[in-house]
Amino acid sequence: MRKFIVLGIMAGILSLPVMAQKKIEFKEFNLDNGLHVIMHQDQSTPIVVTSVLYHVGSKNENPERTGFAHFFEHLMFEGSENIERGQYMNIIQGRGGTLNAYTSNDITYYYESLPSNELELALYMESERMLHSKVDETGVETQREVVKEERRQRYENQPYGTILPETLKRAYSEHPYQWAPIGSMEHLNAASIEEFQQFYKDFYVPNNATLTIAGDIDYKQTEDWVRKYFSEIPMGKKEIYRPNVKEPKKTEEIRDVIYDNIQIPAVIQAYNLPPKTDADSYALSMLSTYLTGGASSLMTKELVDKQQKALVVAAIPLELEDGGIFIMYSIANMGVEPKDLETEIDKLIKQVQEEGLSDQDFTKLKNIMENNIVSSNSSMAGIAENLAEAHAIYGDANYINKVMDAYSKVTKEDIQRVAKEYLDLNGRVVLYYLPKAQQPAQ
Amino acid sequence: MKKIAISFVLSFLIAVVSFAQLDRSQFPKSGPAPEIKIGEAETFTLDNGLKVFVVKNDKLPRVSFTLVLERDPLLEGDKAGLTGFVGEMMTAGTTNRTKDQLDEEVDFIGASLSASSTSIFASSLKKHQAKVLELMADVLYNPVFPQEELDKLRKQSLTGLASSKDDPGAISARLTSAMMYGKDHPYGEIETEETINNITVADIKNYYETFFKPNIAYLAIVGDMDKAEAEKVVKEYFASWEPGDVPTFTYETPKRPETSVVGLVDRSSSVQTNINIVQPVELKIGDEDYISSRLVNQILGGGSSSRLFMNLREDKGYTYGAYSSISSDKLIGQFSANAAVRTEVTDSAVVQFIYELDRLVKSGVTEEELEKAKSNLAGSFGRSLESPSTIANFALNTERYNLPKDYYATYLQKMNSYTVEDINKTAVDLIQPDKMYITAVGNGSEIKDKLAQFGEVKMFTNMGDPAKEIQMTDASMTAEKVIENYISAIGGEDAASAIKSAKVSMAAEIMGNSLVIDMVFDDQNLRYGQKTSVMGNVMQSTTMMDGKGSISAQGQTIEMSDEQYEEGKMSALFLPELYYEDLGYTLTLDGVKDVEGTPAYKVIIVNPSGAKMANYYSVESGLKIKNENEKAGDTFYKDYQEKNGVLIPMGWMIKSPAIPVPLDAKITSLELNPDLTEADFK
Repeated sequence: MRKFIVLGIMAGILSLPVMAQKKIEFKEFNLDNGLHVIMHQDQSTPIVVTSVLYHVGSKNENPERTGFAHFFEHLMFEGSENIERGQYMNIIQGRGGTLNAYTSNDITYYYESLPSNELELALYMESERMLHSKVDETGVETQREVVKEERRQRYENQPYGTILPETLKRAYSEHPYQWAPIGSMEHLNAASIEEFQQFYKDFYVPNNATLTIAGDIDYKQTEDWVRKYFSEIPMGKKEIYRPNVKEPKKTEEIRDVIYDNIQIPAVIQAYNLPPKTDADSYALSMLSTYLTGGASSLMTKELVDKQQKALVVAAIPLELEDGGIFIMYSIANMGVEPKDLETEIDKLIKQVQEEGLSDQDFTKLKNIMENNIVSSNSSMAGIAENLAEAHAIYGDANYINKVMDAYSKVTKEDIQRVAKEYLDLNGRVVLYYLPKAQQPAQ
Repeated sequence: MKKIAISFVLSFLIAVVSFAQLDRSQFPKSGPAPEIKIGEAETFTLDNGLKVFVVKNDKLPRVSFTLVLERDPLLEGDKAGLTGFVGEMMTAGTTNRTKDQLDEEVDFIGASLSASSTSIFASSLKKHQAKVLELMADVLYNPVFPQEELDKLRKQSLTGLASSKDDPGAISARLTSAMMYGKDHPYGEIETEETINNITVADIKNYYETFFKPNIAYLAIVGDMDKAEAEKVVKEYFASWEPGDVPTFTYETPKRPETSVVGLVDRSSSVQTNINIVQPVELKIGDEDYISSRLVNQILGGGSSSRLFMNLREDKGYTYGAYSSISSDKLIGQFSANAAVRTEVTDSAVVQFIYELDRLVKSGVTEEELEKAKSNLAGSFGRSLESPSTIANFALNTERYNLPKDYYATYLQKMNSYTVEDINKTAVDLIQPDKMYITAVGNGSEIKDKLAQFGEVKMFTNMGDPAKEIQMTDASMTAEKVIENYISAIGGEDAASAIKSAKVSMAAEIMGNSLVIDMVFDDQNLRYGQKTSVMGNVMQSTTMMDGKGSISAQGQTIEMSDEQYEEGKMSALFLPELYYEDLGYTLTLDGVKDVEGTPAYKVIIVNPSGAKMANYYSVESGLKIKNENEKAGDTFYKDYQEKNGVLIPMGWMIKSPAIPVPLDAKITSLELNPDLTEADFK
């Protein structure tokens, strides 16, 4: 009898979802102009994070005008009809806030974190940006220079800085993911002011935006202010351009050598991924953690600690709306040939494909993922971003509460299966980054 | 029905709002300052004296445990650096678990666990709390302090110390603390190779046994745990911790100088001067001036819109950034105003610093500046509250500094109540612009005289010791005599000229890999070959012969230009001093300098095409102890041993911009006058 009871209890435990997530409450509404608004109240700290996600990234660009989406991220700090040039940051900082923005292949995201008594200011500032931001010659000229410096600092002057653009270029033959958000300086130089103004009219419209407010707020007051500042912004007239391109599956490996201002060679491998919303994304994300997440992960332990062939090895699933890339990079230790390092990496990939992983490692992996997911919602900034993305990409803000469940459904076999299915050596891109000194004379 | 009515009323309201002409030219005003709701910590104390704070925050299913020891600062003396090792030694294995096992068990539950000499920190998801507490308690009760871990830490520490000797930031930090506190104060003592080498496992054990006692400890629990549960788990894991007497220490309070003095470290390779203007400040959290001191500093130099930044960077363009800070501490705090500026503007920058300090103290701040500083600090205070560890810190500070219970709850109200007059008074109370230690690390020959206008200039070494009185005692000394003395010191001209060629093999370790440098010198025929290999692979090689030279790296060979060849030749001789005259080099004696504590004659050597390097010869022994070469870096020569009647340095410490850490190379084999063929140089 006792045995049965114990078994019953065990089964009971097992049938519960292994990972539990605290529910994040929120309220949503739409304005007539199509702006979607998400509010999350948390009164534990008197701060408020206000963010606007514009559903425009480098993939929405004209192939002759790459870099526009990212360029706008800069331009949008120039000011508006009522905000003097260069004052956007000073105003926010002067009221005790911080702010920032980023651009990906899919989205452009702006946010500011302020004391909660400055919510009205934040909404005003974002509405000014959406209604009548300064898109003029002076601003474009100024930001062209800034973007040039950014490009120098982050790509050209940065060892291995061109990995992403060089990899994307080869991983996609059809899809606009083939260029990186930083785009082309020539395109930006060639663009006329009318083209910039048109981009603003096309994409910086309320029906292409998600406004998220998270923090110490009053729902009613917040909604009133949102309506006050955002209702008068006109809806975009055109349908938002979203590329409808299916990247064909690669059947042959693409292999290349890049000579860069570096001292130590690096090996890059990239595999095409399914769309971000695909059910396999969870298993792939766990696979990357299993391979290189932390000091005791498979590749770090084997290649960095034991064999000491690599200084560093990392697997990053760059998840994108239409299917991103699983990018692995490793930097060779002194005196190690890239070929040698690549062979060892491939061996470990084969090992996962053929043998899968142990129960012990699988449990550890689940524990690490659980901790990561819980921690991703530990700040207002994190919650605002996750809510905005849940709505814009997954079409449901409540997706934020389903992430843990999705991960807990992944099995050990799933991880082995996605390793076989997606890490296909015949459809990948392999790049060797070598010191310029090794470049054969031309 | 009700719902419909409400929505009707709502839509009516909305319509009104949107029809009203919105005046967008006016920025929305700030709402009333929010009340800071800081979760109050609950406390209890165990019989062994351990004070526990519980800050319940169940927003996320996580919990963290921070154990802090409250002891007096220690004077570590000839073991300076000891406390820096304690934390990592504690997590390096227990009687139950090796270091690897401990790491794996922590990773397995996605937790973190770390320690320092006065703390242990652990955090995990709620459901793993029992495991993480078990690991934390194991580290607290059963550390084994393995010798090999100490050896590893010592090695890292010595590498760090070696590179810090050339790091202007680190030199500046040593200089300011040595001047401000003196080396007999816990905050002024300095780690050296000697003190680091003195530290033993027994010392660390002894420290652990003396100070890891519950009666001087606080445990802050933050996260998904209430007091009742905390009492249960704390009893389970920490009740058996044995209390004991812990020694206390007092120190004399460091004083400000009667009048400002200048401290200078000569770092001749510097193109920038690190200026740091400091004085000790008696200030601790909870003092009347504490909150207002935050505002004073914000206005003076707390950020990129503060006075120092606006003046020295935006207006003058002297620097990338100029800042100030006023730190608080139970023992003694400090005021600091600092910037790294171009060498040429060193004195002008100090003038501006002092101008800003005077202006602050004499003319005070404006209403507008104060308002901006308040918003800025209130904002960052508010944002900091998001992190549960801030709340735990507040609870700990409230106890440690004996603060009123509502100190942090009313922090912003207090801050907002300060007037311009209050701030001006705080500035006068805390800062005395005419009693500063004005410190500079930079090119001494260019800045020393210019700094004299600010006070007496005292010279220091890169380790913060007063630089030895460096004066040429022998006025008749010349560069030629220094070279003569050197040749006689190594064994005399006859013995030295008998060495015509040499084969040298040196070994060093770089980031865990062994590195071998093979060199072949043929001084008489001006032939030279050099190969650097890592783990058997040749990384780089140089060949010079028949009036030509080439360098190979990564499979690529580059021929030297004539100018490069001439410059390379200066470093391509085994005993170059014998040939300086023949080669037509110009020698200049540039006084006596301090080379890591040894007074040495500096001889500048210039070749006919203008390339420069410098050699340093010990005043006392006559031996060459350093070569300084702008491109190749610095080489220090040590451990002279007699070979064929000539003293040869068997240890070479090479510091070069091309390598991340100084290379401590030792000669492993040396052949004098070997048979050489052309192949030896390739």
